[in-house]
Amino acid sequence: MELSDWELVQKCQSGEMSAFQELVSRYHQKVFMVILGLLRNRDDALEVSQETFLRAYRKIGGFQGGSSFYTWIYRIAVNLAIDAQRRQKRNPLDFRDNMDSLLESQNEVARDPFAEVQDRELRENMIKAINDLTPEHKAVIVLRTIEGLSYKDIGEILGCSEGTVMSRLHYARKKLHDKLSSFL
Amino acid sequence: MNECERIEQSLGRWLDGELSAAESEVVRAHVSGCARCGAAQKTFEKLERVIGNVLVAAAPRIEFASFWRDLERRMHDRPPWHKELGERVHAWFAAPRTAWVIPALIVVVLAVFSYDSYFPFWRSRSNLATVESIDAYGRSVAILREDESKTTVIWLYQNQEGDDEAAEETPQPGPAF
Repeated sequence: MELSDWELVQKCQSGEMSAFQELVSRYHQKVFMVILGLLRNRDDALEVSQETFLRAYRKIGGFQGGSSFYTWIYRIAVNLAIDAQRRQKRNPLDFRDNMDSLLESQNEVARDPFAEVQDRELRENMIKAINDLTPEHKAVIVLRTIEGLSYKDIGEILGCSEGTVMSRLHYARKKLHDKLSSFL
Repeated sequence: MNECERIEQSLGRWLDGELSAAESEVVRAHVSGCARCGAAQKTFEKLERVIGNVLVAAAPRIEFASFWRDLERRMHDRPPWHKELGERVHAWFAAPRTAWVIPALIVVVLAVFSYDSYFPFWRSRSNLATVESIDAYGRSVAILREDESKTTVIWLYQNQEGDDEAAEETPQPGPAF
C-alpha cells in the first residue's frame, strides 16, 4: 500500500533517506513545472527545483504537519522562484525557442496555415503577456492553471488571504485578456 | 453595476469552483440564458486553455534518476559557512513570528522617549532635566526645570562691555550662542 505524504515525512524525520527519495519522486516534476512557469529559463528552473528539495531536506525535521507536504514544498519553491526571478537578468528567448520546438513536436500547432500563424502569434503574445506580470500575479496564475490548486491552498503557499488570491487572479486574467483580446 | 457585469465579476470564481452551491446556481442560470455572458464564459475558457498549453507544454519531463543523483550529491555537500549564516539570518528576520520585533522595538523606544508628554504626573520621578526656555536675545538665559520644585537658571552669554550697544541694536534672529 502506498504511504501518504505525512507518513513519508515522519519516516524522513526518523532518518530514512528512501522516504525522502520517494517524496522527491512524487513532486519533482510538479515543482519543476511551477518554477518553470515563474522563471523563463529551463536551467534556472532546474537549479531552483534542486534548491527547493535541498531546503526541504534540511528543514524537514521541523515540519510539524500543520499544512500538507505539497503546500509546504510549493511554498519553498515559489519563494525561491520569486527571489530568483527578481535577480534574473537572462534573455527570455531561450525559453521561447525551447517552448516553440516543444509545442511543434507535440503537434499542438494547427495544420491550417492561417490558424497555425494565428496560434503561433497567440502563443508568443501569451508568453510575453505572462512574463510582463509581476512575480506575485504570475505565481497565482501558475499555481491555479498548472496545479489547479484551490484559492485556500494558493493563499497558504503565498502567505496571503483567499481574498488576495482572488483579486490577484482576477487582475492577472484581466491583464492577459486585455493583451490577447484580438486573438480570443 | 448591472446583472451581466456582476456575473462577469464572478465568472472566474465560478469556473474555478470557488463559489457556493447557491451562488453557482445563480451564475449558471444567468450564463445559460444570456448571450453576452455565454460568450464571456467561452472567451474565459479559451484563455485558460491557452495559458495551460503555454505553461504546461513548456515543461519537459525531468528524468528522476539524474535529478536525484544531483540532489543527493548536494545534500551531502555542506554549504559554505557564510551561506549558511546568511540563510539563518534571512530565515530569522523573514519568519512571521519575529518579523514584528523591529517595529515593536521602534514603538517601545518612541514610547520611552515620549512618555513624559503623555503622563505628566511621572515627570517628578525623572532624573532628567528639561530645558524650559531659552532667551536668545540680550542676556541669554536657559531655564532648566529638574522637577516641580527645582529650577536652575543658567546664564549662557553676557556681553558686559557692550550692554548698552546691544540693547539699542535690533535683535538678530537665531540663538546667540
